[in-house]
Amino acid sequence: MMVENSAKRGLASDKALVVEHLCKVFNVTKGTLRRTKTQVVAVKDVSFEVDYGELFGLVGPNGAGKTTTIKMLTTMLIPTSGRAKVLGHDVQKEVTKVRERIGIVLGGERGLYTRVNALDNLRYFADLYGVPVNVREKRIKELLQFMGLSDRARDRVETYSKGMKQRLHLARGLINDPELIFMDEPTIGLDPEIARETRNMIKQLAEQGKTVLLTTHYMFEADELCKRVAIIRNGEIVALDTPSGLKKYVMDTSVVEVEGFGITENEVARFRKVPDVLAVSADLSENKQVLKIQTPKGSEIISEVQEILKNSRIYDLKIKEPTLEDAYLRLVEGSTK
Amino acid sequence: MPQPLRVIYSAFRLAMLHWIVDPQWVIPNVIAPFVFTFVALTLFKEASGPFGLYAVLGGGMMGMWGNTLYGSGFAISFEKWQGTLEEVEAAPSNLLHVIAGRSVSNALFGLTNMVAILLIASAVFRVPLGVANPILFGVSMVLTLLSVSALGLIFASAFVLTRSAQVFTNGLEFPIYVVSGSMFPIALLPFWTQPASYILGPTWGIDAIRLAAGQENASMAFWLDKVGKENAFLAFWLDLGVMLLITLAYLVIAAVLFKMVETKSRRDGSLVEA
Repeated sequence: MMVENSAKRGLASDKALVVEHLCKVFNVTKGTLRRTKTQVVAVKDVSFEVDYGELFGLVGPNGAGKTTTIKMLTTMLIPTSGRAKVLGHDVQKEVTKVRERIGIVLGGERGLYTRVNALDNLRYFADLYGVPVNVREKRIKELLQFMGLSDRARDRVETYSKGMKQRLHLARGLINDPELIFMDEPTIGLDPEIARETRNMIKQLAEQGKTVLLTTHYMFEADELCKRVAIIRNGEIVALDTPSGLKKYVMDTSVVEVEGFGITENEVARFRKVPDVLAVSADLSENKQVLKIQTPKGSEIISEVQEILKNSRIYDLKIKEPTLEDAYLRLVEGSTK
Repeated sequence: MPQPLRVIYSAFRLAMLHWIVDPQWVIPNVIAPFVFTFVALTLFKEASGPFGLYAVLGGGMMGMWGNTLYGSGFAISFEKWQGTLEEVEAAPSNLLHVIAGRSVSNALFGLTNMVAILLIASAVFRVPLGVANPILFGVSMVLTLLSVSALGLIFASAFVLTRSAQVFTNGLEFPIYVVSGSMFPIALLPFWTQPASYILGPTWGIDAIRLAAGQENASMAFWLDKVGKENAFLAFWLDLGVMLLITLAYLVIAAVLFKMVETKSRRDGSLVEA
């Protein structure tokens, strides 16, 4: 396992972000008349470090603990245990100092005052961040220009397209000229073109020397943008390396990709039980279903595939080289297999 | 400008922009209090005494308080609905200052209906609305507005702790309106309600407003009875002094409650989606 052990090195101050054994447990009340309290562990024992100027990715499926981790690092949630330092400041003891120096960009269309215009949104947040009044207007002008929103700055945000709203989100996250920016799934729900546009913006920020912590559940996005990627599963980091380092996880395997119709969940479950199958992913929602089977046996497994899928229609069957996405799937599915 | 004041002003400005783009505020702020004043003026048409001003001030206070209660009570919910609460919470400024700005804007918008009612009562119902001391009337009005806003802050934080803000809001609107003596002097209320009246800042503000309007409007004012009618000026400032002390207490309570709410939400994630 390639998880960094920052605990051995202590909370190093030459790092933009140092996270040590971070844990978050929520108390949940269930029932109406007979109320019972249960505990839900959202994040357990997460440790990693991020260098100044690094674009770092935190990747994992829904419910893995990405957002909870970000919210602890941005002081919005108090960790149950563990420690974290953001730009040298403790997230529990120096809340205001952390908040002053970071930027937050959350995904989705919400998070903006849609009934007012972009200028008023940015002015408001500049005031909340205490941006000096003589700097405020100049910075807003520069940000709007950078995001290509200058011409629509006085239009109500509710008239903006999704892409424009996302660019305004980014501008808002940069209003205090933060040294470290947290981006929580910034491309979620965006169409491919707007998502690409957003990724380009993120690249430009990294080129400007900003430190970025990006969460996503798109592995290709992390591959394209991040210098290093941590894969989080069930509240734990299961791997942390460069994208090429993570690909080594699946170097000894091949991917059997099946395109077909009529493939059932039962058949997918049967593949998971085959001894030489390391991970299985299936998209059964469309007419053309896609099944990906990771195995070190390559073409040797084909007869078994055909046997399991004898009641389904197979349109195509390929043996492929594994990608980073496959490495991710193997790491994420590791516990379920 | 000090940072807290800048945040309050900025939140106030943003709330005002929202009021302007959403004209449905006309319904609770002008129409409902206007109907209330109309009913009161009709009922007291034959009665002697300063009932005209009582009805007008009552209608105005109703708008101011109702607006603040709903506006402040839902200030945090508004941010939640907009999806902006997390962004606001993550900023280095104090959430109390943000909601304070909203609260003042709510009270101010509520006050606009008093102006509307004054004009309508004077033009349509020919109610004599002579104000003895317009400057003191204005001062007491502004300070009462701030006191109402501070009271709204307490509710804003308390409402975050409950899922039934709507029920509390509906339940609190009229009791406070009546107990604060907006419509008639609290001396007319049963004695057991009076302690509740005395801990409400607006009770003293309304007394001061009536004194500024003229002694004949404040025949049952608390301090006027104590210091004598010849010392009405002193009674006016005593009213404002008590109101300011109560308002300060409200602000302290609101600051403590906001701190509690913030800590709770950072611990259990009740304000953020984790």
